[in-house]
Amino acid sequence: MTSTESPAPVMAKDAPLLRVEGLRTEFRSKKGGIKAVNDVSFDIYPGDVLGIVGESGSGKSVTARSIMRMLRPPGEVVAGSVRFGGEDLLTLPEREMRRRRGSKVALVFQDPQSALNPVMKVGDQIVEAMTVHGVGKQAARERASDLLEQVGIPDVQTKIDHYPHQFSGGMRQRVVIAIALANDPALLIADEPTTALDVTIQAQILRLLARLRTELGIAIAIITHDMGVVAELCTDVVVMYGGRTVEKGTVEQVFEQPRHPYTAALLAAMPRLDDDRTGRSLPAIPGAPPDPAAPPPGCPFAPRCRFTEEACEQEPPALLQIGGAGQAAACFVAQRAAGGLDFSAPVRDEPATTTGTPAAPPAAEAVLEVRDLRVDVGSRRRGLFHREPPVYAVDSVSLSVHAGRTLGLVGESGCGKSTLSRSIVGINRVAGGSILVDGADVSAMGEQELTRVRSSVQYLFQDPYASLNPRRTIRQSLAEALAFRGIGGRAREEAARSLMTQVGLRAEHLDRYPHAFSGGQRQRIGIARALARQPRTLILDEPVSALDMSIQAQIINLLEKLQNELGLGYLFIAHDLSVVRHLSDTVAVMYLGRIVEYGDAAEVYGNPQHPYTAALLSSSPVPSVSARSRERIILPGDLPSPANPPTGCRFRTRCPIGPLAQPDRTICTEVDPQLTLTATGRRAACHFAGELALQA
Amino acid sequence: MADLPLAPSDVALPEARRRLNPTLVRYLSALRTPKGVVGLSILVLMGLAALLAPVLFPGGYDQQGPQALTGMSGKHIFGVDEFGRDIFVRSLYGLRIDLSLILTAVPLSMAVGTLLGLSGVISERLGAAVQRLLDVVIGFPGLILGICLVAILQPGWPALFLTILISGLPTAGRLARGAWLAQQSREYVLAARVLGVSRWQLLVRHVLPNAMDAIVVNGAVWMVVGVYIEAGLSIVGLGVQPPTPSLGVLLNNGLRFVTQSPTYIVGPALLLLLVSVGFSLLSDALNEAVNRR
Repeated sequence: MTSTESPAPVMAKDAPLLRVEGLRTEFRSKKGGIKAVNDVSFDIYPGDVLGIVGESGSGKSVTARSIMRMLRPPGEVVAGSVRFGGEDLLTLPEREMRRRRGSKVALVFQDPQSALNPVMKVGDQIVEAMTVHGVGKQAARERASDLLEQVGIPDVQTKIDHYPHQFSGGMRQRVVIAIALANDPALLIADEPTTALDVTIQAQILRLLARLRTELGIAIAIITHDMGVVAELCTDVVVMYGGRTVEKGTVEQVFEQPRHPYTAALLAAMPRLDDDRTGRSLPAIPGAPPDPAAPPPGCPFAPRCRFTEEACEQEPPALLQIGGAGQAAACFVAQRAAGGLDFSAPVRDEPATTTGTPAAPPAAEAVLEVRDLRVDVGSRRRGLFHREPPVYAVDSVSLSVHAGRTLGLVGESGCGKSTLSRSIVGINRVAGGSILVDGADVSAMGEQELTRVRSSVQYLFQDPYASLNPRRTIRQSLAEALAFRGIGGRAREEAARSLMTQVGLRAEHLDRYPHAFSGGQRQRIGIARALARQPRTLILDEPVSALDMSIQAQIINLLEKLQNELGLGYLFIAHDLSVVRHLSDTVAVMYLGRIVEYGDAAEVYGNPQHPYTAALLSSSPVPSVSARSRERIILPGDLPSPANPPTGCRFRTRCPIGPLAQPDRTICTEVDPQLTLTATGRRAACHFAGELALQA
Repeated sequence: MADLPLAPSDVALPEARRRLNPTLVRYLSALRTPKGVVGLSILVLMGLAALLAPVLFPGGYDQQGPQALTGMSGKHIFGVDEFGRDIFVRSLYGLRIDLSLILTAVPLSMAVGTLLGLSGVISERLGAAVQRLLDVVIGFPGLILGICLVAILQPGWPALFLTILISGLPTAGRLARGAWLAQQSREYVLAARVLGVSRWQLLVRHVLPNAMDAIVVNGAVWMVVGVYIEAGLSIVGLGVQPPTPSLGVLLNNGLRFVTQSPTYIVGPALLLLLVSVGFSLLSDALNEAVNRR
């Protein structure tokens, strides 16, 4: 189950398979055109894996759709060429283009949920992909089962007649890939193929794509926002920003010596798994990505760049070769600097995110404690004559959050981390165990207890677009929270203004509606609203995962600053292990409603005791080329349903050291391991804790 | 696909727009679309005609002339009815009845229906029970309901009013209940709950404003339904009683004399059509504006 894999040596680069030149795509409206893709050029050679990486609005998805000629109006390619096998795809008649779509160039979409027809058997869907290109039914069906085998679907003969809902998310994505491969395309374009998937499933799919590339020799273009995915899988990379290519080159070149300030700043701002910067603020990129409707006249990154000169703001720089063969960057300053720019100088901080010293008082009091908490999400659905059996999404979980400290809660979707956090604030009903806020038991969640919880524990939601009422101004949203502190009149105005400044927003913007703010700004408003009640604990439910890469560091820094200033205790929930590593003092790893490992963050990350923790850590993509050769533990299968958890150890169905690999270990199927101290003085719920060590 | 820059982001808006209530902006933009302009113009015209009828024709709707059942002519553009009364004048007075009916009954029906639908806020059981009651109302078609009400009351304005009011309740109730249930899981509602906002405040500040779009559009649709209910009941003789005219009563009479004066029915039918087209266009325009993203 463990193996090492490094990309195959780069093949001889003669003729490119796909050559995109000067591509421009606009979305035309009455108010004028939006230049979504602005003069983008790149080549893909046979056997290449090209990563097109960028934030939302950078134009990466539009580029893919332009190549496939699948833009929806008012989107329109206004200039450029897409040469594939000697012909320009953009000038082909639609009939001819349709013949090439799927057979020569295939597309894999982000969401496997909606990419499959729910009322058609998966086998038939693969067959259909071939029969539309003229393959006979019988031959197509045989090939369909080969394809399913190839993409790693077990038990193909039965699964081929299953419907999409009978597959898990990861398995569905495999089916989508099988459909894309059906006609032996020379190029596979994958638009965020792993974004909707969990880390351990993502690792499976990335592994699959890498294998397909070596086995079939096809070229892959993968569109992603995740630098880690690029470093793991790709041979070449195109970095897009504000509709333009700002840098391109081989993965080694770009990750080892980025030439464009944006690439460099982005890589520096990302939290790392092996973070030695804990407690220090990240070098965040100030500002926000440009609005595609109103791009700056010059370099799109100029307003946020610390190297900006006068020329940068006047006209956009051309993409010219810098560094080794194949590497190019669109930056006036970098093009002049012979030895490359010095990116090591401290990046200027936003005024609001200057950090103090991380001096959390040792052995601070527990502001929030959870003991043996169980949450039943099953019997909530009650029929007229029967009650559904209980489903414990959270099963006997204990943890504590201390003032000025951060407890990181890590797990995949469906492990119960959000259910747990929502139970603490009284959104989900508690079925057993107790919750203590500032030492007082509030498990009953009556009127009195809720008042107590709410004055002390506040919640920051994941989606900054959904967590603010679109019909209320920021002032109204903050006033609602401030009213609970009995603040009125002028004092309320004062408080609202100071909250805005505290989270790095301008107080003049209080009367705006949420739609006038960007994602990062909205998340700041969410923080301000939570702070308005002067809580002692903040529950942060994936606070940065919906934000753009270049914004994440700003919010992380803000959260750290606020913790230092106000001595807040954080319960930080995330699936991104590197973000958790950066912020947390203590880490709890959750699997299927249980905590499987709990301990000091540095220790857990450095030497995980539970095999699940080890697998999670090794599955996380690392934005570094040197990490490619590391040993990876790729978990088989999917998360079981919490309605019917496996007997004994809940992890045994996927465990690399459990009965799957070593059938004599019957203890795992019989005895449910408790979260106990291991030989090394750590807490892990595993009969064989510490056995699976990670190689650095 | 979520990150396609299809619509210009609002971040680039001028400051004045950032402070405008987005609900208001959208409703106003609805009225500026072709559908909105045409619909609103028709309705304003109809409204003015109905309002000014007593001023334009101070003689009232009962003035008889020497001839009966003539067709359309320059002097009587809609013709003359069986008692020698001008059909155009009677139609305008009929329009008054119709508009006064729907403009009072429908908003009231929407308001009461919304309140009933929100009874789930008090207790989940009550909400479910009220919903079942409203389902029973759906079981009665408007006509049957009207006949029942006429049997209890007398045929006339009050019975029509109640019929329209009651038939509108279930849809409004369902919409409101749906909004309440759907918004329970919205993050801004959860955020307000975590702050400690009470259920009623949640309702007034967060749920209702965000359900308003659906309620307004539904209201505009029910204006049309209201006109049809009036016409339907009047055609079978259960509406307002002669000599008072309503569009439905005029249609009823037109049908009775269709062999003697085939154009009798055209005028009132045209007005009825205009009113329903006006409200349809308006609700359509609102609906499109509300669902545009």
